[in-house]
Amino acid sequence: MIHYRGVYKAFDIPVLTGVDLQVEAGEMFALFGPSGTGKSVLLKTTLSLIVPDRGDVEVDGMSVYFGPVSNIEKIRRKIGYVFQHAALFDSLNVFENVAMGLPEDELARTPRKEVARRVWDALEIVNLEPREILSKLPSELSGGMKKRVGIARAIVGRPQILLWDEPTTGLDPINTAAVERLIKRLSGDLEVTSLLVTHDVEGGLQICDRVAMLHSGTLRFCGTPEEFRNSPDNVVRAFVDRAAAAAALDMAVT
Amino acid sequence: MALPLSNVVTGWFAKIGRSYRVTLDHAGGLGKLTWDSAVAIVSLKVRFRDVLNQMYIMGIQSLPIVFVTASLAGIVTSQQGGYQLISSSPGYVLGTLVVQSVVLELGPLLTAIVLVGRIGARITAELGTMVVSEQIDAFKSLGRDPVAILAAPRIVAGILTMPLLVGFADLVGIYAGMQMASLDVGLAPERFFYGARLFWHNWDLFYGFSKSIVFGFVIPLISVHMGLRTRGGAEGVGLQTTQAVMFMILTILILDAMFPPLLLQ
Repeated sequence: MIHYRGVYKAFDIPVLTGVDLQVEAGEMFALFGPSGTGKSVLLKTTLSLIVPDRGDVEVDGMSVYFGPVSNIEKIRRKIGYVFQHAALFDSLNVFENVAMGLPEDELARTPRKEVARRVWDALEIVNLEPREILSKLPSELSGGMKKRVGIARAIVGRPQILLWDEPTTGLDPINTAAVERLIKRLSGDLEVTSLLVTHDVEGGLQICDRVAMLHSGTLRFCGTPEEFRNSPDNVVRAFVDRAAAAAALDMAVT
Repeated sequence: MALPLSNVVTGWFAKIGRSYRVTLDHAGGLGKLTWDSAVAIVSLKVRFRDVLNQMYIMGIQSLPIVFVTASLAGIVTSQQGGYQLISSSPGYVLGTLVVQSVVLELGPLLTAIVLVGRIGARITAELGTMVVSEQIDAFKSLGRDPVAILAAPRIVAGILTMPLLVGFADLVGIYAGMQMASLDVGLAPERFFYGARLFWHNWDLFYGFSKSIVFGFVIPLISVHMGLRTRGGAEGVGLQTTQAVMFMILTILILDAMFPPLLLQ
């Protein structure tokens, strides 16, 4: 479904140094790793939001970087992207933000009533009350609500793939758990392939079929959650221990 | 301890090389943005409503500051011209001086500089914030073209609005200059306009409006270009906005200096 082939990207220093990774259709896949190790960069190469210096990404057998330019447009239609800080458009209200998730040509030819129904449905799916927030601007929403609106925008176009870029960052543990349940439910209900980048290791291990870990720009681990927990690799073990300690501290503070 | 000469020379070459690279990078970026905007306009991807909205922000909302700037420019030109000319030349020459100064130079240039501060800085900061908060990436991920949505409407609005603003500034500046000439040196309005007509060429109006169209294109172009290249967080937005303002003012002054040899020969 998604195939990263030798993806290399450097800014001032190399961030990804040749990552090979395959996410299968219908799978729920989590990508872990310390900060600055290139998880979000890898995710953005899927949609050509960041162009790798070397390597390629294939989505459904279509090459992002070595195929015709129209491939990018086709691939973007298949994918819903949930941004780390929601990335809602400041000047548009919730209705307009979510409606932007529909492809441009579809939005132009769909009657406004039908667009309103789809926006309404998408907001209900993410447990928001449409009547209360449709006309609100992003600045009037809480952090958790912004994330949900961002998710609604990503799913309203009925994508086949959802890319989640740290969707629980900045949320308290209760909201984190709620968003994780939502991710799990959406991936099942909508029958989509999900690639989740997260710092919440325990949450990722609970909801995903397979996980991988990036370390210093390379793929350090790829396997099931069980294999990840029992990995003999010292780097993986240290990461799991640190993540568990951070999660325990978070819970204690809350 | 002094550095060896070879290190100093190598350092100079490295600096020159970096400057060339940055200049070429900006030139390429501006060229690509111009081309992409033109393609978006020709392929009718630009929404008329967005252009009108930008024209309102650039035009109607700028009228008060343009009014004040043009009035003061007309008043000062009239006062200084009166001080220098009135004892040695016929009074109506003051009409020539004020009208020519305002139409040829002060109207277009001061309006452009006002727009750099009011609109150019705003566009760079707005787009820069959209870059660092991933809103531009969100547009792309949703299959939307940020150039058609954000850049082209601003460029079209700049080209359409600037000549109107300059026309307004010219009228206000000339009127303020005429009133000041009447108050300061007792020059009657008919004598003022007699002097204005005596040395008037219709070409001068074309010259002033040509400048306004070029400035109206350059200000949004540079501000969008700089905004879309913002990196980092709030600090990056601030830094980029400052650099954009310097870039726009320098470009306008250089273009302004190129107009006389090109169009006034």
